[in-house]
Amino acid sequence: MKKKFLLLLIAASAFSYASKAQDTVKTTADAPLVLYGSVDTYYKDDFSGHANIPTSFASDNNSVSIGMIDLGLKKTVGNASFVGELSFGPRNDQSIPTSGYHIQNLYVSYNLTSKLNATAGYMSTFIGYEVISPTGNFNYSTSYLFTNGPFQNAGFKLTYAFSDKVSLMAGIFNDEWNVYTSAHDVSTFGAQLTITPVKNWTAYLNVATGPTSGTEFDLTTAYQITTAFKLGLNAATFSPAHYSFGGTYGFEGVALYPQIAVSKAVTLGLREEYFKTKEASDPTLWTVEAHPGAPLPGGSVLGSTLTANIKAGPLTFIPEVRLDNVNKKENSTFTDSNGAPTTSASQFVLAAVYAF
Amino acid sequence: MKKLFIALLCLLAVKSAVAQKDLLSIDEHNKYIYYQVVQQPGLTVDTFQNRTAYFLKINYPKNKVNRDEPTESITGTGKLLMLTGISAAKHIDGEVNYTFNIEYKDQKYRYWLTDFVFTPYYVDRYGNSVPQPGIDIPLENGASKLEKGQLNNYSIQISNYSKQFGDRLKQYMLMISATPIKSDKKKVITTKDW
Repeated sequence: MKKKFLLLLIAASAFSYASKAQDTVKTTADAPLVLYGSVDTYYKDDFSGHANIPTSFASDNNSVSIGMIDLGLKKTVGNASFVGELSFGPRNDQSIPTSGYHIQNLYVSYNLTSKLNATAGYMSTFIGYEVISPTGNFNYSTSYLFTNGPFQNAGFKLTYAFSDKVSLMAGIFNDEWNVYTSAHDVSTFGAQLTITPVKNWTAYLNVATGPTSGTEFDLTTAYQITTAFKLGLNAATFSPAHYSFGGTYGFEGVALYPQIAVSKAVTLGLREEYFKTKEASDPTLWTVEAHPGAPLPGGSVLGSTLTANIKAGPLTFIPEVRLDNVNKKENSTFTDSNGAPTTSASQFVLAAVYAF
Repeated sequence: MKKLFIALLCLLAVKSAVAQKDLLSIDEHNKYIYYQVVQQPGLTVDTFQNRTAYFLKINYPKNKVNRDEPTESITGTGKLLMLTGISAAKHIDGEVNYTFNIEYKDQKYRYWLTDFVFTPYYVDRYGNSVPQPGIDIPLENGASKLEKGQLNNYSIQISNYSKQFGDRLKQYMLMISATPIKSDKKKVITTKDW
């Protein structure tokens, strides 16, 4: 009996190794079902004693809080692909305006030719440098440009690759950002010109414009100058539509992202951002509640964020110090430890992000 | 007896891992290499070349291939994905680009895969796994850039891939006709005449 058991064990282990060998030599064609995602948690301490900096996520002060669990599945067979990504947690809830909705990406894609791809569904926006998933950002807190721009767009797009260095995406998207269904129609036009001027430098020139959503022009670029040093830049300007769902203000700004790897496990990075809320066309419509992530109309803010990424396998620890300064007290929503209006706010965040 | 089982299993696991990693050697340029010389009596250089070209076309259609007539060799580049995770759902860690060389003499050929360079992937905003631009790690520098477990895992995957490349090549070299084996048309049965 023991001999039989031994033989069974050996056979099972041999089968296991054989299976592993077969799995590991598969190449890109018809890749296996891929599971990906992340979980994140953080502690934030605003030096005023209460939460001040209004950009997206990491909103709880003096609390060990959670971001979200993000679970994605994707599969490619031949020329057809799908991506489905679900998320749960406060970070999800703050990224999708419709309560109870939990989808970050849900789209299907088909390569019509080797150069032309068609994609339809609900997907992360093509605008901007930062993203909702904490694994896609170097800094844990987010920029004003990210907070005030679109997060997702639902629609249909075609992407044509002219060469390895130039491609163009053009699509038609729902009239409102960040929601699965349109309010009235599919009337936002979006386009992205991708250029790779030199190896390891990619620039994206983006536009999204529609009678409901307004118009945003955006430049997002990143250059891995050496193996250790990367420089990113995001600049954007937004003008609201006359009948804007989001209010009657516009914004403009620029953010620079230098990052340097100081060891195998540690990378240091700075985000230096200037952001300005344009004068409202009708100031009476302005409310802080409607525009929580921006200075008051006419005001500008300079945000400096120093962040470290410390990697331990799939886990990344992100300690971060941030200091934001608004140009004038009357444009600021910051308050000091006594609750009095002030022009500056600062915070420390320690986050942990596990990616799989 | 129980201890014997466990010891045997451990031994089996260690031997298997070591054997897979040992398929890669170091060449005179201090680069990892998978190198084989294969004797194939009765075959000429022309036959080897034709069968290799067909082998690459069928099995590695995305590889870039250069055919060098004067030196009677075929070279090229290819890539493979580095996967981790359970077999039902994989995570793509990155890709390894490599070069391959196949040279011929009458009745024998040799081939080698080398210049293994790992590029990590990241998941972009759309959920796609894409290469991180500017991060290229030669396998020889892996010890200083990658974690030990990662490096072992990738070395095993590269070894398996290289071995499979060689085994498939050998199969095609042995084929009497290097053309696809067409299946016979199914015999049509008529029920009228019997």
